[in-house]
Amino acid sequence: MQEELVENRRQQQQQQQPMERQGSFGLRPPQTPDPGREAVGEPDEIDKLKAKLMSAWNNVKYGWTVKSKTSFNKMSPVSVLGHSYLLNSEDEVERFRLAFVSRVWLTYRREFPPMEGSTWTTDCGWGCMLRSGQMLLAQGLLVHLMPRDWAWPDAQQLTDVDFEVFRPNSPARAGGVPIPSFGSPRGSNTPVKSLPSDQVPKSSQKKRPECARDRQAETVHHGLVTWFGDQPLAPFGVHQLVEIGKSSGKKAGDWYGPSIVAHILRKAVAKTCVVQNLALYVAQDCTVYKEDVARLCDPSLCQTPPDPSSETWKSVIILVPVRLGGEALNPSYIECVKNILKLECCIGIIGGKPKHSLYFVGFQDEQLLYLDPHYCQPVVDVTQINFSLESFHCSSPKKMPFTRMDPSCTIGFYAKNKKDFESLCSAVNVALSSTQEKYPIFTFVEGQSQDYGLEGHSSIHSGPAALILPPGKLGQSNNRRHSDEFVFL
Amino acid sequence: MPPLEKPQLQNKPFKLRKSFATRRQEVAGIRAKFPNKIPVIIERFDREKFLPPLDKTKFLVPHELSMTQFITIIRNRMALLPTQAFYLLVNNSGLSSMSLTMAQVYKDHQDEDGFLYMTYASQEMFGR
Repeated sequence: MQEELVENRRQQQQQQQPMERQGSFGLRPPQTPDPGREAVGEPDEIDKLKAKLMSAWNNVKYGWTVKSKTSFNKMSPVSVLGHSYLLNSEDEVERFRLAFVSRVWLTYRREFPPMEGSTWTTDCGWGCMLRSGQMLLAQGLLVHLMPRDWAWPDAQQLTDVDFEVFRPNSPARAGGVPIPSFGSPRGSNTPVKSLPSDQVPKSSQKKRPECARDRQAETVHHGLVTWFGDQPLAPFGVHQLVEIGKSSGKKAGDWYGPSIVAHILRKAVAKTCVVQNLALYVAQDCTVYKEDVARLCDPSLCQTPPDPSSETWKSVIILVPVRLGGEALNPSYIECVKNILKLECCIGIIGGKPKHSLYFVGFQDEQLLYLDPHYCQPVVDVTQINFSLESFHCSSPKKMPFTRMDPSCTIGFYAKNKKDFESLCSAVNVALSSTQEKYPIFTFVEGQSQDYGLEGHSSIHSGPAALILPPGKLGQSNNRRHSDEFVFL
Repeated sequence: MPPLEKPQLQNKPFKLRKSFATRRQEVAGIRAKFPNKIPVIIERFDREKFLPPLDKTKFLVPHELSMTQFITIIRNRMALLPTQAFYLLVNNSGLSSMSLTMAQVYKDHQDEDGFLYMTYASQEMFGR
């Protein structure tokens, strides 16, 4: 019955998918079946069956779209990655729509080729943090490769949104008259500029943006999405990311954290040659070492003596994994997170609600704006020329209160060149100093991380691991006695 | 299997194991003996699943040690990789700036009993 449900819904939703495969749960790994194995490999078969049942269940669970409407206050600005929109005019709503829908949306997918060394053909129910990480990287790549202020010409209309006037003193919405249409003064969504004659407008996408269609940008856009395709060779696809994560002790089916994903992305960018002129730096212990960034962006600095004539400075994505509190988000950091999301150099934050990863791209009032990977879509074969981009963009913006944000997250930034990096440092520093906590959530420091190490400090040699309690010996009385003594550093 | 009652005691936070008066006395005693060291309590976040427990909670730290150096020492003792997530939260809620010295952090955040309290945690995992 589940299979029918999924099957039906899939047909309804994704008729355009060329790669539909029937009998989704009966997919076999591509190995040649070995009849002699059946008897010996019984537990293996049970595991496979379990995995299949789990993914069947997850496909159902994440297949439904919950059609809950998101309300936007027309009276206070909504920030999306450094741009601000006051949604009280048609123009502003239009700009907000393009800003939101043009972000690359990467979700759970099903029926992709099995992950190497496993039978997983979907990441439903475990891969959401990897998806959020992909979205963050995709945003970095959009900024890196696309013209400034690029917007997707085929961006869908917003769905499931209300624009309302909220009474300032009441948290409940008042006078909640949804304004469904701004369209009347400008007539029936007439495009401002006419389309190039060779473009056939799609019926679902009536409105054209106010710029001529940029063919080259669209080619790059398509190319960028293929790098995130769900097939083993895609440089930033889940297959690759899971493969890279194995060196951090992770495997397909595991849950991932925002810090691990930051390092996986770093390795993925270092490994591929599809992206030119881009480096990815991950901060260590809430510290961005500027000299380390410089050396990453300009390899000539590592030569002795450094070559000052060299003008090659790569663009850089900077990821800062942080923990903004213990059990829950420390509320005094909220202002700071807002100020970071207001920066143009910010490419978003990957984190989520507890256990549930989301990609945060902005905020309005006391709510974060996000893209949600928890929607299970059938795989799209990105190797097909002109595959549909529709399932890679999201038309329904969602919000959640800052107070529900999990304290574990990774913040992303992008700097095009050296000068950009310098202004990034000062802009971010201003945003960071806005916290009500005594200390900023992370810092930029001059020099390399090795300059701040323990050179010359005696206790570095006092034997690593000496203080780790052997597992399972928590209760031994001799340990108990010693644990009350001071350790001298 | 080790007996179960002792881990209970061990797992209780330091503040709950000892009365305020005892803790204060302890600080007074150690500060008198070592005036240029700071008494720090380091405990594992109670819901931490990935980082190993430490068998010691009380540390005496030189004033001039920076937070970066301090964290590096703890990381080394746990044999963590540099890329492994490790955060020290002051009073279980805020991060502290890495460039600060222990004396500065102590000045701003020491408890009434005279100890500086820090909790260590990695990051949560997401998957649902």
